[in-house]
Amino acid sequence: MKETRLSGLQWTLLTALRMVIGWHYLYEGVAKLIKGNWSAYGFLMESKWILAGFFHSLAGNSAVLAVVNTLNIWGLILIGLGLILGLFTRLAAGAGILLILLYYVCNPPFVGLFYSIPMEGHYLFINKNLVELTALLVLSVIPTQQVAGLDRLLYKLWKK
Amino acid sequence: MKEKNSSTDSTVPAAKSGKKIGRRDFLQGLAGVPVLGAFTLAALKQESYRRAARARKAAAAGGGEAPAELHVALIGVGAQGSVLLNSMLKIPGLRFQAVCDIWTDYNLKRAGNLLKKYGHEAALYQDYREMLDKEKGLDAVVIATPDFWHAEHAVACLRAGLNVYCEKEMSNSLEGARQMVLAARETGKLLQIGHQRRSNPRYRFCHDVLLKEIALIGRPVTAFGQWNRSAAPELGWPKKYEIPQAQLRRYGFDSMAQFCNWRWYRKLGGGPIVDLGSHQIDIFSWFLGANPSSVQASGGTDYYPKATHEWYDTVMATYEYATPLGIVRAHYKTQTTNGSLGYFEQFMGDQGTLLISESAGMGSVYREKANAPSWDEYVRKGYLTEPKLVEVKAEEESDALDVRETISPDEHKIALAFNDPYHKPHLENFFNAVRGKGSLNCPPEVAYESAVAVLKVNEAVEARRTLDFSPEEFRI
Repeated sequence: MKETRLSGLQWTLLTALRMVIGWHYLYEGVAKLIKGNWSAYGFLMESKWILAGFFHSLAGNSAVLAVVNTLNIWGLILIGLGLILGLFTRLAAGAGILLILLYYVCNPPFVGLFYSIPMEGHYLFINKNLVELTALLVLSVIPTQQVAGLDRLLYKLWKK
Repeated sequence: MKEKNSSTDSTVPAAKSGKKIGRRDFLQGLAGVPVLGAFTLAALKQESYRRAARARKAAAAGGGEAPAELHVALIGVGAQGSVLLNSMLKIPGLRFQAVCDIWTDYNLKRAGNLLKKYGHEAALYQDYREMLDKEKGLDAVVIATPDFWHAEHAVACLRAGLNVYCEKEMSNSLEGARQMVLAARETGKLLQIGHQRRSNPRYRFCHDVLLKEIALIGRPVTAFGQWNRSAAPELGWPKKYEIPQAQLRRYGFDSMAQFCNWRWYRKLGGGPIVDLGSHQIDIFSWFLGANPSSVQASGGTDYYPKATHEWYDTVMATYEYATPLGIVRAHYKTQTTNGSLGYFEQFMGDQGTLLISESAGMGSVYREKANAPSWDEYVRKGYLTEPKLVEVKAEEESDALDVRETISPDEHKIALAFNDPYHKPHLENFFNAVRGKGSLNCPPEVAYESAVAVLKVNEAVEARRTLDFSPEEFRI
């Protein structure tokens, strides 16, 4: 396949996209951590569609729920840090995709599904989760971390 | 490599830019660090706002060291007296010295046993006069007897040199209430009337901050209050503890049934509008900063037998208030046959709505999007929670949003929690005032104004027309 070179502006904007998404993940995690008593319970219990049973069972067992909460908070924080710093970026992007995919299938905006948790917009199939997920997919195949990110240094060290 | 010297060298992936780590590699490698720095600053600032809001809430909850002991007596330890007693047991620095109740075998014994459990050896009396004669060294008396006894009990205690906390309604007659005000003035002793919302931190916050300081709802226009109760049978009593008939008569009751259900009888109480409505109509006057100028009302004993329910089981009253900001119409409803939606008060202005209740779950404000300025600042200051978006319910069938429907305002919760017993802050306010710390939140003059406004409802029901208040009626 023929390689197409990206311009400096294109690299810069893609890197900015990575950092913006990283910021979002990081604060979602930090805010939940600071709050202290945050729980995914309400979100999980709201689950509709075919995986609802699975998500409800996560919420139903307090020991499992505690693990889910911890994994979610620290997952968000670490993914956010990875994306902002460009550190283990592909791993962070992959984990971010997986996490947000879980959010998406937990409460998908499919035809005929209505939620009691108020949303700030109106969605049909595509919601902001899916947009962010797609953006991460793009970033997972374009190595912005080699332009701006600690991975650039790691890569070089590794190569030595 | 070819790209090495090209103009876009700096943006080329590391894989293609050689193996040596240069200055440029470091700069590009650390590109995320300033972003992380900015994030940290923003997050810390946000957290400091949150902390400030939390500290303000904690300060509102109060605190302090143990004060000198006050010697306290109770007159009347039935249902309401027990509520007050349980609240007082949570207040440090009180020594319960005496309790008085005419139902000696039941109320009095129960209160005595409860106090014993908490280490108080209280003397027990059937007659308040005997108690006032024998008990020396009392600082304060808490009165929770039926309304028609309030004036006599409160006046006697004030004259005996005691500070008095008396349940509302101040009296079932304005003359009784007047005597209480005069006795308090004459003796210089404190008289607090039990409109306990006046000391509730959530209500005080709504009044002092939301309405007065920042005028959140703008110019008030209407108010609404309600207290709905489910239909309930008359209160019964254990037969073996019945009070002898002669003793009942001595204290103004015809029968045991009347003694237990005194609130429904004309000569003893004022009915639900006085028992329940007086709390909330008092809030109308307090929050609106004015006494009413007129009232019209409809009511009747529509559901229960009239022989046992002399006072109206259902009352609806509409007041007009000439407030400093303009006319406000306030409607109040109490019914005793359906408890749905409970009890609350609601104030509507041109910029927002305040809904408040003694019931801890209720307490919200709604911003009028069309006219109100942004409330973001109040959210940041911790006065209100973040808004919960109220979705516009568009008609499923129609393509366009019905233009006749105004978009619903966002709901904010009042960001002040209060988890103590409802009466505790009001009692604390009283005992603090007895110790010389602060002034009463509901002195007799204020409660008298409230009694004037409330007792007129029953008159208006009888009169079947609008009754006016003159400003002099509220003064003594």
